Amino acid sequence: MRRRIIFTFISFFLLILASGCENFVEPNQLAFVIGTALDHDESGVIEVSHQIVIPSQISGSEGGGSSSGSESFIVLSAKGKDIIEANRKIQRKMSRRLMENHRILIALSEELFEKHDVSQLFDKLNRDPANNLRDITIMIKGGNARDFLMQGHPMDHLSSVAAGKEMKLSRMSKFTSKQLAIDILSDGYRPLIPVFNVEEIQVSSNKKQSIGLLSGFAVMNKDLKVSGILDDVEGSEAAWMAGKRTFQGITIPWKDGKGALSFRFSRLKRQIHSVKGEDPNHIILTVKAQAYLLENTTPLDLYEVENIVEVQKYLNEQVQKELQQTVDKVQELGPDVFGIGEHLHREFPYWWKSQKDEWDDNFKETNVTVKAKIRIRSLGTSGKRFSK
Amino acid sequence: MKVSGYQLFWMISISSIILFSYVPIKLAAEHTFQDAWISIFLGGMIMMAITWIMLQVCNQNKDKTLVEFMKDLLGTFLGKTLVTFYFIHWFIQMSTITRGITEFQNLVLLHEMPMTIILLCMLFLIVYVMFKGGIIAISRCAEVIGPFFIFLYFIQLILSPQEMDLNRILPVFVDSGWGNILKGTLYSFNYMIDPSIILMLFFFAENKRTAARGIFWGTAVAMLWGLLTTLSLLFITGPNITAEMVVPVYSITKLVSILDFIQNIDALYITFWVLGAFIKLSVVLFILSYGLAEWTGYRNWKLIACVTVLVLMAFVIYSTYDIRIGYEFKTMYLIGFLYPMIYIFVPILLWVLGSIKHLRKLSSVK
Repeated sequence: MRRRIIFTFISFFLLILASGCENFVEPNQLAFVIGTALDHDESGVIEVSHQIVIPSQISGSEGGGSSSGSESFIVLSAKGKDIIEANRKIQRKMSRRLMENHRILIALSEELFEKHDVSQLFDKLNRDPANNLRDITIMIKGGNARDFLMQGHPMDHLSSVAAGKEMKLSRMSKFTSKQLAIDILSDGYRPLIPVFNVEEIQVSSNKKQSIGLLSGFAVMNKDLKVSGILDDVEGSEAAWMAGKRTFQGITIPWKDGKGALSFRFSRLKRQIHSVKGEDPNHIILTVKAQAYLLENTTPLDLYEVENIVEVQKYLNEQVQKELQQTVDKVQELGPDVFGIGEHLHREFPYWWKSQKDEWDDNFKETNVTVKAKIRIRSLGTSGKRFSK
Repeated sequence: MKVSGYQLFWMISISSIILFSYVPIKLAAEHTFQDAWISIFLGGMIMMAITWIMLQVCNQNKDKTLVEFMKDLLGTFLGKTLVTFYFIHWFIQMSTITRGITEFQNLVLLHEMPMTIILLCMLFLIVYVMFKGGIIAISRCAEVIGPFFIFLYFIQLILSPQEMDLNRILPVFVDSGWGNILKGTLYSFNYMIDPSIILMLFFFAENKRTAARGIFWGTAVAMLWGLLTTLSLLFITGPNITAEMVVPVYSITKLVSILDFIQNIDALYITFWVLGAFIKLSVVLFILSYGLAEWTGYRNWKLIACVTVLVLMAFVIYSTYDIRIGYEFKTMYLIGFLYPMIYIFVPILLWVLGSIKHLRKLSSVK
């Protein structure tokens, strides 16, 4: 009997030790960081801002339904030589322990890219096991990243949640910090970073609100400096051609100028080939997609098979033309965001060895031809448009 | 004390996977980047060959342990001296893994817990299992833990298909070339799987034929796992990040995301890693203390196990003060002397001597 009691006590003691109760932190002692902003500071250091949820406010306003009144988050900032130093200073202002495991967004200001070596900041992301590298990295144009975090959003409580949802909606799951780190480290890829800016929009008859929205994509060079910014249409075309499939759809005016056709694209793919498989200086970039017709304001009857063939051909020509313009523009800017260098690295490894250091210059001279292979999958549920 | 071939399979595969998940991938990827899998494959093949040679040696000396047949074949003095290299190797391995566990738990789970307490818990457990029945208790644990362990470790490799890009391992071979690939193999193969433990374990096998099969398959499973892990790591993170990952297997479990819903399965991974490490540590502790008992002639191996654990604890704690001792994977003493000695030189020597002895016996009978 006595042995059994002693045994029970020992097992309980071990159970407590084994489950790590010794330094257990309750969820109500944690501060959940949802978004992080990094800015350049005048004194040459960086400024880190964390957007932190206030749990009580979130549940309160959801029940009541009114989002006016108190905010559901706070943004705390501090300066430091690196992220951790700033984090420590933020921690001092907090009553709860910062928890970064659930972050969904990292916003970096344009100025930070100009004046700092951003790749250094990624060390912390990979070293600290608290990070999952799934968070999306964006750049904030014209203004502080901190101010972006401070914006509310009419639909969501937190601007970073809103931005995260917006990115997910436009299928931008490929812009995580992991992907960015891979792009930065490889020789034949230059990063493409989504750019958000803050705009004021009319949200109701008597209210204007400034919200952050996706406005384009930044083309980065080898040293992670901005070479140029593509607008959102060109940018998503570039992302499609970079294999990061984000392109949403297209509206093309019909040949005779009467009406237009709108398509939604899905199953976006791209392939890179060099001509005949032997000439690294002439590249064919093939994009593939399936198109769904959404709107037809032309007089065409798309129940006729001849018309479908005609539309598909014309659609391909138009897409090809537009994408070719984007490619030319990117080549003018310089950096190879499509990963053509990486393709050449894989196809012509020996040739690449001698070329990789000059790739940024050579990319401009490379002849890139875009080919579109888009198939129309569906015409919707009506043939001709309704007309008398 | 007898174990079956089935149990040996689990013990060998678990302890090899534990070692594999801890060191070699980083050591190989440092030199070879996207060709790390070639290095790992070559290393695995070398290890399989060594396992085969060691099994031959074991088969020649079915009824003896390593210590005894070394004495038989090489004479008391030389035999005893050479065996000490194995003892040193096992001790280093134990200390590496113990240190790995405690540091890892401090890093990801228990940030405040004093390292000695984590250490004590683990060491208490392996001493306890010694007293509860030695190799029999260990092999039963391995039999229970094994299936879950292997299942989880294989399944987690394919849980993030949306993150994988098969092109990331291209171009094959050209970037690194034979020089680097062999260098990667040389640095890493010693840590892939550990065939030296079978020299002791084979003695305890009930049926030698099924035991040999179990050991061989156990090694093969661990090999395959290591190769697949390296490939999936390269597919998911690309060569440059792989080369920098210190705990690569843990890092890929963190990246698992099934439909954006099931994430952070690393909690499961850590649990089974610790369980596997327990098997590994207790197997090594058992053979080390049993071997020492035979070496010294002092029959009470359980007491020796206690003393060994105390020494181990002291060594691990000391190695946290003297950092150099803790990071010895790339030391030339080990790679250039100890490993070739225990994995290649001594087994081949024993095999040759055993064969000669066998032939002589045959001729004298005639």
